Amino acid sequence: MAEEYWRWTESRWTNPDIDWKKGDIITGGVDVGSVSSQAVVFVDGQLYCYGNTRTGSNSPDSAHKAMGLAMEDTGMSLDDLQYTVGTGYGRVNVPFGTRAITEIACHARGANFMYGPTVKTVLDMGGQDCKAIHCDPRGKVTNFLMNDKCAAGTGRGMEVFADLLQVPITQIGELSLQVEKEPPPVSSTCVVFAKSEASSLLREGWPKEKVIAAYCSAMAHRVVTLLERIGVEEDFAITGGIAKNVGVVGRIEKELGITALKPKIDTQIAGAVGAALFGDALVKKERKKG
Amino acid sequence: MIEMFEEWYKSRHDYANQWKDKTGGKVMGFFCTYVPEEILLAANVLPVRILGSHEPQNVTEPHIFGMYCPFCRDCLAQGLLGRYDYLDGMMIAQSCLHIRQAFTSWKKHMPPEFTYYLPMPHQVQSPRSIPFLRSELETFKSAVEQRVGKQITDADLDRGIELMNASRQAMRDLYDTRKASNPPMTGLEAMYAAVSNQWIDKAEHTAVVRDVIQKELPGRDLGLEGKTRLMILGSEDDDTAFVNMVEGCGSVIVTDDHCTGSRYFWNQVEPEEDRLLAIAKRYINRPACPTKDWPQRTRLDHVRMLAKQWDVAGAIIIQQKFCDPHELDIPEQRKSLDGIGVPTLFLELDVTVPVGQFKIRVEAFLEMLAEDDLF
Repeated sequence: MAEEYWRWTESRWTNPDIDWKKGDIITGGVDVGSVSSQAVVFVDGQLYCYGNTRTGSNSPDSAHKAMGLAMEDTGMSLDDLQYTVGTGYGRVNVPFGTRAITEIACHARGANFMYGPTVKTVLDMGGQDCKAIHCDPRGKVTNFLMNDKCAAGTGRGMEVFADLLQVPITQIGELSLQVEKEPPPVSSTCVVFAKSEASSLLREGWPKEKVIAAYCSAMAHRVVTLLERIGVEEDFAITGGIAKNVGVVGRIEKELGITALKPKIDTQIAGAVGAALFGDALVKKERKKG
Repeated sequence: MIEMFEEWYKSRHDYANQWKDKTGGKVMGFFCTYVPEEILLAANVLPVRILGSHEPQNVTEPHIFGMYCPFCRDCLAQGLLGRYDYLDGMMIAQSCLHIRQAFTSWKKHMPPEFTYYLPMPHQVQSPRSIPFLRSELETFKSAVEQRVGKQITDADLDRGIELMNASRQAMRDLYDTRKASNPPMTGLEAMYAAVSNQWIDKAEHTAVVRDVIQKELPGRDLGLEGKTRLMILGSEDDDTAFVNMVEGCGSVIVTDDHCTGSRYFWNQVEPEEDRLLAIAKRYINRPACPTKDWPQRTRLDHVRMLAKQWDVAGAIIIQQKFCDPHELDIPEQRKSLDGIGVPTLFLELDVTVPVGQFKIRVEAFLEMLAEDDLF
C-alpha cells in the first residue's frame, strides 16, 4: 500500500490527577469535524480525558469512535456522561448528544479555557474551513467571520500537499522553514489550482521545501486577509489542526506582527473542550432550576 | 387563507396564463420595481415581475458574464427556458447594469411583441429628477396607449393609482402585525405575501391580504414569542429556502428592506391633479435602491427606523454574489446598524442556498445574539 503522507497520528490522553468516580458533574463534548473528530470528558470543570481521531463517512460512528478512544482504559462509559454537547459539521448526528452547539461558539469557549480569559481573537483553522472569532473574557462570541465556499487554506488542502510532495504532514511546517529566502506564495490558494501550480514548480526544479514554503505562505496570507476583515485584538490564539504547523503559524504571526499564544494542549480539541464546558454550565443551570 | 400566497408563489405562470384566458388582457413582464405599474394597470395590463427559479441552470453562459449576479442570470434563464412565453411585453426601468443585461439579452433572443426601456434617473436626489421622470412617464404612457390601442385617461390613471396604493397600504398593515412580540405570521409567510404581490392581480391580492389581517391573524399563535427577532436586507431576495432555513434555526424574521419586500410597497402615490407628476414623485421618493442612493445615503436612516420599529435583535445582510451596488452599501449599513446595537451577519447568496455552510453561520449568529444561556 502506498504511504499515506497526509495521515496524522490519532491520539488520546487521560489526566492522571483526576479520579472521575469522585466527580460531581461529568460532561462530554464531541466535535465531529469534516476531517477529524474529537471527544473530551470534563469532570467538575476540569479536562479529564480526550480522544482525537479521523472522521469517517458516518458521523454517528465517528462520534462513537472518538468518545470510545477518549474513554479507553478509564472504566468510564457513555452512561456516566450527564450531559453531552455535539459540535462541528456532524453536531446534530452525535447519537449520545444532549444538545448541539456550533463550533464557532465552542472554539471560542474552548480557547478561553485552553489559553485563558485574556484571549480576544481566536483563529480556528479546521479541516475544511477557517473561522476568525472575537470573544469576551468568558469566551462568548462577540463577532465572527468564516471563509467562503472554498477549502483552500485549511487542513484538507495541507493533506493534499503532503501527498503531492510526499512529505509526512507533521513535518511540513518544519520543512517549510528550511529555505534561505522566502519564495513568493503560490498565486492561487484554491487547492486544485495550487496543486497544479506546485506541480509546475517541481518540474521547474524547485526543491520540495521551497514549494511547501510557497504554499504555507499562501495559506497564511489567505487567513490573515480573513482576520483583517474582522480585526485582530490581542491576545490572539490559534486552534485546529493547522495550529500545529509551525510553518503556517510563524508566517501568520509575521504577517500580522503579533505572536499567537503558545498552546499547552492539543489545539485540535478546542471545539470539543468548549462543548463539554457548555455541557457543564447547562447541568449547573438545570440543577439551579431544581 | 394565508396559504394562498404560497400557492401563488409556486404557480406564478399558471396564474398569469389563467388570468389571460379569463380576461383576454395583456401581460407585461418587468425587471425592476422602479417600473410604474400604475400606468400598466391603467391600461388593464397585468404587470408580472420576472424572477428566477432558484434552480441550477446551464443556458445563460453564452449570453451573460459569469461575474454578473446570479439573480440576473436566473431571470434570463427563465426566459431562455420558455417559462415566460405568455408575456405580451417586457420592460425594465434602469437600475443596475446586470439586470439590464438580462433584459437586453432576453429582448435579443426572445423578443415579445412589445419591449420598453424606461430611463429611470439614477440621481434621484437631484431636484431635476422629478420633471425628468415625469416626462419619461408621458412617453411611456403614449407607448402603452399605442400598444393597447386605447387612450389612458385621468380616470384610468386614478384607478391604477388607487389599486397600487390600496395594495401598498394593505401590505404595510400586514407588516405592522409583525411588530407584535408574538408575531402572528412567519417571515416565510410574509415573503410569500410580498413576492406574490408582484405578479398577482392587485385587487385580488389586496382582498386576500385584507382578509388575512382581519380574519386570520387576530389571535393566531405560532409560538414565535421569545424567538430571536431578525430583519433581512440587501440585494433582491425571494429565496424561500433561505428564509425557511433561518427561521428553522430558532429565529423569526419580522421585517426586511429588499426590493422584493418592503421597498416595493413602502410609500404611496400622493394624489394630485397632474397624475404623472404624482407617480413620478412616488418613485423618486421611495426607499432607494443603492444604485440610486447617492450622494446622501438615505437608506441608512430608513433601515435603522425599520430595525427600531420592528424591534429586531440582529440583521442578516444578504448580497447576491457580484451585486456591486449592495456590496458598496454593506460596510456603511453594518456600521450604521452596529451604532444602534443591532449586530449584523453578512451572507452572499447564489442561485441556490448552500444550506450547510449558511446554517452554521446563522446558528452561530443566533447563539451570539442569545442571552447568556450557555454561561
